Amino acid sequence: MDRRSLLLATAAIAGAGALPAHAQQRVTLNVLTAGDQNMVDYITDYLGPLFQRQNPGVTVRAIGTGPGDAGSQRIWERLEAQRRANAQSVDVDVAVVHQNMAGRMVAEGLLARFREQAATGNLATSAVTRNALGQNVDGFVMPMFNSQVAIAFNPARVPNPPTSFEALEQWARQNPRRFGYNGIRGGMSGVGFVFGWAYAFGPDQRRLIEGPFDAEAVAALTPALQRLREFNRNVVITGGNAGTLDALNRGEIDMGPVWMDMFYTWQAEGRLSPNMRLVLPESGLPGQPMYYVIPARAANADVARRFIELATSPPVQAEGIVRRFNWLPGIDAQHVQAHLDQQTWNRLFRDVPPDVLARGARPMPQADFMRAIQEAYERVVLN
Amino acid sequence: MRDATPAPAPRTGAGASSLFPYLLLAPALFVVGAFFVLPLGFSVVGAFEGNEGPTLDNLGRAFGLYRTDLLFTLLIVAASTALIGLGAIAIGGYLTLGRNAKARRILAAMYRWPLFIPFIVAAQAMRGFIGQNGLMNNTLIWIGLMPPEWAQSFLDWRGIVITFVWKQLPFATLLVAGAMAALDRAGIEAAQNLGASRMRILLGIVIPQVARNIMVALVLSFVTMMSVLSVPLMISGQSPTMLTVAMAWRINALGDYGTANALGLVACIASGLVAWAWLRQSAREAAR
Repeated sequence: MDRRSLLLATAAIAGAGALPAHAQQRVTLNVLTAGDQNMVDYITDYLGPLFQRQNPGVTVRAIGTGPGDAGSQRIWERLEAQRRANAQSVDVDVAVVHQNMAGRMVAEGLLARFREQAATGNLATSAVTRNALGQNVDGFVMPMFNSQVAIAFNPARVPNPPTSFEALEQWARQNPRRFGYNGIRGGMSGVGFVFGWAYAFGPDQRRLIEGPFDAEAVAALTPALQRLREFNRNVVITGGNAGTLDALNRGEIDMGPVWMDMFYTWQAEGRLSPNMRLVLPESGLPGQPMYYVIPARAANADVARRFIELATSPPVQAEGIVRRFNWLPGIDAQHVQAHLDQQTWNRLFRDVPPDVLARGARPMPQADFMRAIQEAYERVVLN
Repeated sequence: MRDATPAPAPRTGAGASSLFPYLLLAPALFVVGAFFVLPLGFSVVGAFEGNEGPTLDNLGRAFGLYRTDLLFTLLIVAASTALIGLGAIAIGGYLTLGRNAKARRILAAMYRWPLFIPFIVAAQAMRGFIGQNGLMNNTLIWIGLMPPEWAQSFLDWRGIVITFVWKQLPFATLLVAGAMAALDRAGIEAAQNLGASRMRILLGIVIPQVARNIMVALVLSFVTMMSVLSVPLMISGQSPTMLTVAMAWRINALGDYGTANALGLVACIASGLVAWAWLRQSAREAAR
């Protein structure tokens, strides 16, 4: 090596040493997300590239684990397996999970406390930030977004949609096989509809939501579930959350419960007729947030916290969560509204205005009730 | 008198050579033991495990919640197996006894195609084909064979049966038609010379000679269909559904391996009974 090359090499090494530490390291941030394909798309197409641009050397790898609680269950199994193997660090840096599993993970010590250290931690103050279906999760979670189940309908076939479950029951009897939902095995919009039915026709909605769990309260739901079994004779069971939207779009059904965000996104992408509309019955349908969490012993916990800080910052919540993906924001709305034009904000509440949402939105049932109602559905409705 | 029989050769290294076949078999036995018998054993044991020791709760829950699904599974698979048997005999029979050589060649070339298509792809194709507004109904309406109001979705138990038959028929036909082609044609030709109809030849001469091959094809198809998850999952979200869907639900959504293992045990027993009936029949025939 001649003197000039030696000087250049020395300068290059010295230059590298002068770079900020996080810019030098090559980090692959593993983000596992439960939920439908739109969850993976959000990270792959929007959030991941944005974070990579702001953090050179970091590669975001998004992995979808499937819809419904089953997707969160797979993330739990991965973390639990690594804990049983006494792994020094786990290969999941950020996970996006449902409420039910977030509560279980906190109770079992699988998650790290990070919200106090996150720069955006104080922007989310709603009850779901501290409590997930009866389990205290304060400090361990940041809501990614909130979403809500509502009834989608075709106004050309249903000019006056039913606004209560009683009216819906009557409509389904008069219009056999024109209402469709995905049961309880095909995604959470169907599960949410069953919970909405239990809230409407069960004796004690508040008990189901707030607990404490009581097997007799589940037994008291039997007449409501028998009524649902009769209702099911007149409806179509679709293949999943997307299956209900597909069936609606193909004209195979005229009504069905869907996630509001999926509904608006499909319309924006031209996959669903723009004429379809939403209605939220007054006895209520459940909604839920998805949570960002950082596993205890995550290999890249600091980078993971920065990722969540970006994801829950007002500009990203406005642009990514509300404008592009039509979810309700995870952080408090007043921080987000300032970053959105009025037209976009109004679009979010086009069919279900804020006052109707406030009256009709419910949490999912308390965790033990959640499982017990699903099993009661299998026992009473499916047998 | 001297004995002319040569003396036996000294048995040098007899111990090593007698072990050699077992050594050759060892890797295969290890793979079967480690990757099939052991997990099966864990699964069976898991069906009787509870939080507080051995229990029958899992089996109780499996029968309590999923007995309709079990019955539904058996009916669907049995109906599909019967249709596959009829189809395989019909195709194999035509390939053996058909008079139009060109039609035989085209049929022989075409019937194998679905063999190379995975179950999940077949299910996906069927979703687009037999749905209410699928290709089948739209085509029938378009050519005027059916009014639009008659269109109905076959995405239920009928769709599962259609997909199973479409997918497994080539496999069964391959075994059955191969056995028919290998028959000594002298008997068939003698019957033809005596004026027997082709149906009579098929029922009286061909099928009795390939009955064992038909049974093998049907038993293997039955066991394969019992284990398919993708088809019922994609074709029919209706309830009742097949046991595989219930097993996946217990594991994926509820993390309940005990009940899933109990359902697996029930599925194993159902498949085992069919295999046992076939083996018993084969043993009787071998003893004759």
